[in-house]
Amino acid sequence: MTLIDAIRLTEILLGFAFTLQSIEHLKSFTNERHLFLPRLLLALLLIIGFHTAWVVFLLFLLSLAILYRFQGPYNGGSDRMGLLILCCLCLVHLAPTLRWQEIAFGYLAIQLVLSYFISGWVKVVNPEWRSGLALTDVFQFSAYPVSESLREWAKSPRLLFYASWAVILFELVFPLTLLSPTSLTIALGIAAAFHFSNACFFGLNRFFWIWVSAYPAIIWFQFRFFTAN
Amino acid sequence: MLHTLKLLLPAIVPSWRFFDFIAPSPRIQFTLLHTADEAPQQWHEFRPRPAQLSFKQMLGRMIWNPRWNESLFLVSCAERLMEHPTQHSEDEILKRILVELNSHSLATNVMSATHLQFRLLVIKRQDSQLQQSVSFHSRIQPLSGQTPR
Repeated sequence: MTLIDAIRLTEILLGFAFTLQSIEHLKSFTNERHLFLPRLLLALLLIIGFHTAWVVFLLFLLSLAILYRFQGPYNGGSDRMGLLILCCLCLVHLAPTLRWQEIAFGYLAIQLVLSYFISGWVKVVNPEWRSGLALTDVFQFSAYPVSESLREWAKSPRLLFYASWAVILFELVFPLTLLSPTSLTIALGIAAAFHFSNACFFGLNRFFWIWVSAYPAIIWFQFRFFTAN
Repeated sequence: MLHTLKLLLPAIVPSWRFFDFIAPSPRIQFTLLHTADEAPQQWHEFRPRPAQLSFKQMLGRMIWNPRWNESLFLVSCAERLMEHPTQHSEDEILKRILVELNSHSLATNVMSATHLQFRLLVIKRQDSQLQQSVSFHSRIQPLSGQTPR
């Protein structure tokens, strides 16, 4: 995938993710509608590719206003990833040379790799994650399970032990999948399935769409630095 | 401006420490009062989760999930109140409870009640037992003339 194609695909996917998010706020309080209606329009312009440099810059400014409105991210990590992608796209459009564009977009790819690896690292050094107890806690009493019936999973510690290790190992191994296009494709498929399951079990649908938006960056990064040479 | 940049920094240089440990989990409970100094009789859980969700409903929530995402924001507000209480977080929770009360089945109770209060019930595991404790009480909010915008 070329840099230009990867940037354009990221813009389209990010525009789609922002469209879904923005529509959810249109029936909310007046001061939220004032922020999310313009965001919806800008997201649609981003999808169709209308003056993307300006649109990305305006979306970034609007995201700062939204950050201020909620005194932090509305939905934690997914909002932060959206802001990171926007920052990188702004820098790509501001970059004076191809090399600086690659650095800005490469930063997004590296952060995506770190998002999996560091998540795996902080789990593997925690005895409660290694024993499966942390995931049991998530199902038993955290605010995330979307239904009471899902809390029953806390009564299956063996299943959650294996699930914990599957997540930990996948997240730790993720950087190695950059070594070939095939391994990366498989890893991104597994990662998307992981985010999909989090969306189903914990209602984290925004994570799914935002993380997928950053995938073109890592596909380009792998091609540029591991395959092309 | 400086404050907004402080909020932006964790997005530009993220820590990515998702679920590094499972923190005590807050539940929002509210009560309706008939006078400002009435002792609360009954606490109701705000937005209890459904008993069950079908796979089809989960699929639908992939693209349309405003209520749950708002609930996750309220969890963030509750966590902020537990760490560093601010009026912003308290207001965000109060006004969403008010909207819910005005538009749902508790409307009949609301008509006779004059004030609203919420509290945060914190659930955590101590050894193998779950423990609950109340960590925060909101101000007592008059209901009259409250139309959150």
